[in-house]
Amino acid sequence: MSEPLLDVRDLRTEFKTDDGIVKAVDGVSFKVEPGQVLGIVGESGSGKSVTCLTVMGLNDSKFATSTGEVLFRGEDLLKASSSRLRTIRGDEIAMIFQDPMTSLNPVHKIGRQLAEAVVLHNDVSNKQAYARALELLKAVGIPRAERRIDDYPHQFSGGMRQRVMIAMALINNPDLIIADEPTTALDVTTQAQILALLKRIQDDFGSAVIMITHDLGVVAETADDVIVMYAARIVERGPVRSIFNEPRHPYTWGLMGSLPRLDTDLERLYQIPGQPPSLLNPPSGCRFHPRCAFAMPICRQQDPRLMAVGSDTLHEQACHLDEATKAREAAKLVAMFTAGASSS
Amino acid sequence: MSTAANGNELLVVEDLKKHFPITRGIVFQKEIATVKAVDGVSFSLREGETLGIVGESGCGKSTLVRCILKLLEPSGGRILFQGRDITGLSRRDMRPLRRNMMMVFQDPYASLNARKRVGFIIGEALELHGIGTPAERKRRVQELLEVVGLNPEHYNRFPHEFSGGQRQRIGVARALAVNPKLIFCDEPVSALDVSVQAQILNLLKDLQKEFGLTYVFIAHDLNVVRHISDRVMVMYLGKSVELADRGELYAHPKHPYTGALLSAVPVPNPDVGRARKLVVLEGDVPNPINPPSACNFHPRCPRFQQGRCDVDTPPLAPIADDHLVACHYPLERWPMSIAEQPAAVQPVESAG
Repeated sequence: MSEPLLDVRDLRTEFKTDDGIVKAVDGVSFKVEPGQVLGIVGESGSGKSVTCLTVMGLNDSKFATSTGEVLFRGEDLLKASSSRLRTIRGDEIAMIFQDPMTSLNPVHKIGRQLAEAVVLHNDVSNKQAYARALELLKAVGIPRAERRIDDYPHQFSGGMRQRVMIAMALINNPDLIIADEPTTALDVTTQAQILALLKRIQDDFGSAVIMITHDLGVVAETADDVIVMYAARIVERGPVRSIFNEPRHPYTWGLMGSLPRLDTDLERLYQIPGQPPSLLNPPSGCRFHPRCAFAMPICRQQDPRLMAVGSDTLHEQACHLDEATKAREAAKLVAMFTAGASSS
Repeated sequence: MSTAANGNELLVVEDLKKHFPITRGIVFQKEIATVKAVDGVSFSLREGETLGIVGESGCGKSTLVRCILKLLEPSGGRILFQGRDITGLSRRDMRPLRRNMMMVFQDPYASLNARKRVGFIIGEALELHGIGTPAERKRRVQELLEVVGLNPEHYNRFPHEFSGGQRQRIGVARALAVNPKLIFCDEPVSALDVSVQAQILNLLKDLQKEFGLTYVFIAHDLNVVRHISDRVMVMYLGKSVELADRGELYAHPKHPYTGALLSAVPVPNPDVGRARKLVVLEGDVPNPINPPSACNFHPRCPRFQQGRCDVDTPPLAPIADDHLVACHYPLERWPMSIAEQPAAVQPVESAG
């Protein structure tokens, strides 16, 4: 495919608050190809959700201003009218939210909520819409779907509600699904079910997925490409194997090291000192420098640009550290994990 | 159970039960059913160790801890703390004992009173137990703030002035205030980001070493539990289904449920994670009002044998040294490598 499905260029989103202007997204660019799964990882407040809300045009225009370009099949969504956005949302781009309880309307039956999405975007009768709703409920593995279609959201368990959310997102065969922490509120077993379902559905429908999560395990298992965000910016990006096998940014190392994992035995976890910075007044230079173990004088003054790692043009990182040190540190980290895996 | 106290146990729990009645009617209340939130759980806790409790939501982990702390009145069984039976103690008799058993809660936002200053929140337990003069208490609070890695000068701040991780540190400081022996941590890190989670886990480990604390650590994240625990208990629907040393449980899980839980954990390594075969458990945790017969897990179990598992309740029995499991058909081996796929365990088709 020559033209990407979604091409975000230099996206910047600012919110006006009582304390000043918060730059929640500060110069983020990325592309999503058809059928690709893009994982976006980062801590709370790193701007991953705002990036996606901006793509969907869901920020409150009273407080938020966005610049840059969000090209969906060549059309700039930032400039699109709200009625145009409404026809795209739920049809070509769909979103799965984190909390299935608050994202479903508690006073309407599941079937009606699903059918509404069909009727809004297609010229079909209510009956056909219901039939489509039922078909999707079956596709996402709701047992006894014929009966459950007339249930209210509170009659479903958390995992089942998330399945309904996925059914709703898929109902118009979207080309792009944005999943914002789709499994964070769920138990591991349910999470495994939902991830397997998303995978299967992605194979069947060929949709592209943007998977926002803070769980590196989920990213490792689902994503093709990964973006690591820190304080409103991208600090590292690349194919999933490059990110996990040759991480090049100290923040990525920190995230990986701080994760307790089944395949390694560490007495102490690596901890990134301090807190994520306030975006009202972000640190100068590299935004990670106050928490970085490798910070140099230049990090305080100069903002590192995203640059290719060696000859690998797909893998980019933004860090001033020299290539040799980064290769050594990354190798140390990865060796630690693989050593643990083989000994247990 | 062969958990009878031999003197070293700090806490012994025997066949603890908590049944909540479901009633119908306003004037004449009639009991129509019971929810067996905790149904015969036994374990013992040695001084200085950490017991991890894992299980899906609704398996009774939190109710179990609330019963041990006597925040809920147990419906049956015995709780021995330092060899003394505390099951029947009144609230008044319980109060001096509470100094020894403290709790760290899950939600660092909801568990700190937003209208009180941090100094008061941490020092309240000292005051209630009549420890020290006000000046001594203030000194103690500042010392505690320092111990948990906060600035002692922040004594007069309000909880909203702290981030989630810092609030959880305040929660830990509050639990430490009266020098308890035993701390119950109920999902203390599940609301936190990974980097902050690592800070709190390291802090808990450091404090344990420094003060010789004993922890009961509840979490649904198996990675976290493995990292912090010495022994791990797996719960399913109010029952303990497996209890073993940390290394043993994660390397050689015997209960099919434990195996399924372990296999569901995403691996942060794309080469390993995608190659392994998942044991995806179908369905949800059954309704505890009407639990399945005999072994609660049988409708979701890949090793279910009709006529045995749904008729005969498996007891929690030793299968190896310090390894208890409640299963008629425990797993023979557990594959850790990619090469060894879970041949013994196949995904179930479905369960409504």
